[in-house]
Amino acid sequence: MQVLEVQHLQKTYRSSRKHLTTAVRDVSFAIAQQEVLAFLGPNGAGKTTTIKMIAGLILPDRGEVKINGLNPHREAQALRSLGAVLEGNRNLYWRLTPIENLEYFGVLRGLSQKVARQRGRDLLERFELSHKRRAPVQTLSRGMQQKLAIAVALIHEPQLLLLDEPTLGLDVEATQTVKRLIREIASEGRAILLTTHQLDIAEELSDRVAIINQGAIVAEESTEELIRRFSGSAYVVELEQEIDRDRVSKIQNLGAIVNEKTILIRETEILYEVLHILQPLPLIRVEKEQANLTEVFLQLIQNQSESPC
Amino acid sequence: MLKLFLAEVKRSWIQFIRYPAEAIGGIFIISALFYGLFLGATYVAGPSIKLGDRLDSIIVGYMLWTLVTFVLFDIAGTLQNEAQTGTLEQLFISPFGAPRVFLTRAIANLMIQFILITTILLIIMSLTGRWLSFPPTLILPLIAVILGAYGLSFAIGSLALLLKRIQQLLGIFQFALLFLLTVPTETWTGSSKVLGLLLPMTTGAGLLRDVMARQQPLNLPQLGLAWLNGGIYFGLGLTLFRFAERETKRRGRLGGY
Repeated sequence: MQVLEVQHLQKTYRSSRKHLTTAVRDVSFAIAQQEVLAFLGPNGAGKTTTIKMIAGLILPDRGEVKINGLNPHREAQALRSLGAVLEGNRNLYWRLTPIENLEYFGVLRGLSQKVARQRGRDLLERFELSHKRRAPVQTLSRGMQQKLAIAVALIHEPQLLLLDEPTLGLDVEATQTVKRLIREIASEGRAILLTTHQLDIAEELSDRVAIINQGAIVAEESTEELIRRFSGSAYVVELEQEIDRDRVSKIQNLGAIVNEKTILIRETEILYEVLHILQPLPLIRVEKEQANLTEVFLQLIQNQSESPC
Repeated sequence: MLKLFLAEVKRSWIQFIRYPAEAIGGIFIISALFYGLFLGATYVAGPSIKLGDRLDSIIVGYMLWTLVTFVLFDIAGTLQNEAQTGTLEQLFISPFGAPRVFLTRAIANLMIQFILITTILLIIMSLTGRWLSFPPTLILPLIAVILGAYGLSFAIGSLALLLKRIQQLLGIFQFALLFLLTVPTETWTGSSKVLGLLLPMTTGAGLLRDVMARQQPLNLPQLGLAWLNGGIYFGLGLTLFRFAERETKRRGRLGGY
């Protein structure tokens, strides 16, 4: 079941009397339950405008957003299914303690105080913040504040969670914890829209990727498929020791490239013949040449800026 | 709505008392102002001058002035503070809707301010032994004034949403407020009287003067007009705020103060 449906969103700003800037031209995508969609794009591509249109904070010129079938711009009920941690914002009251923040935001999202308090306690325990429940938020570390901001966004158990740069400025340990939490939250059945400039994190966490550039989606498919599409068909074989001359010549005659302890095989049909020649030399790895999301991202963005509009 | 109101009262109160030095400082300033008002007239005119009920009206008048000013700038102030603390967008994604959240918060803030001032006044009165008389009928025209003040507060909040930085304008509004609360429209006649009825808060403020300073009984038809005036300005303020919210969302400028 689709939790979020975004159809043909468009947004143009008037930056001066005569000048119009198109922030979002045509953006459509959907996110199902238990799915993490990484929404990627360079700075100024239209990510934040799109996220804010989904959250009902910016009115689209055209197009429609549906959260669980409801339009957040017309039906306030839609906001009951939405939790958001927005980038560049603290999203929390710094003078309040974690439990006070959870209680307040719980009521603000429509819960009773009693339910908000109970869920707040459970979330603090789950996010390993119970020991800090009585400390004002401004005394917490950046990682703890970010964990709390995610907990606050979950207090009303929304079906859709918008996470804008959730690991920005976090140290390695805090990043690992936030990554673990995102995985857990998705596995509970929630749909997550994740934006980040840390593409390794996006690759690790997302089920699907949507890449936006100059206000339009340039790629949208499963993360695995996208990487496979951009990966070459070559194999790399690495050995523990340098290969003797006789073997090198045999392998080169087959058409593979030998470089000290590494062999690059472009025609996959000769892979087993090469392995046969190498027998019984000890191998370190045999691996298909694999692209990563960063390479895919850069290639897509570059292709788009080279192609005429 | 009640649960949101209670949550807002709790949040505002905690924010106020979390740093005791700051809270004590705030209480000290209010106490000094009111104590100064108690003593001021005696210092100026000497103890032989009997102020009688005049002191009551000065102090009640000042208290009302403080509260109405507080209401008037509450919504614009909340918008700017929330933008600074980075929680503004979270208020706008509440299913209650921004106008209800801001109104509930403004009422909660007013209640805390009212209780604080009343407590300080009671302490000063017990210390000085000079008990002011508060006619209970005062509350009725006060509601009309406060209703109008909330309407204007939403209007100023709308300006803050659309224009972002309105600190310079707030000074001008203070002068306008001084005019509206002190202009004696209750003594106007003819077409000026109609104009007096149309101005925000003035009818209610006139009734307050009648009850406090002139010890007159409450004029019920006039009270009805004051409520109508307050209700209309409240409705206008809310409508303006809804328009400003939509316009700001259309411009994509909700944050960024």
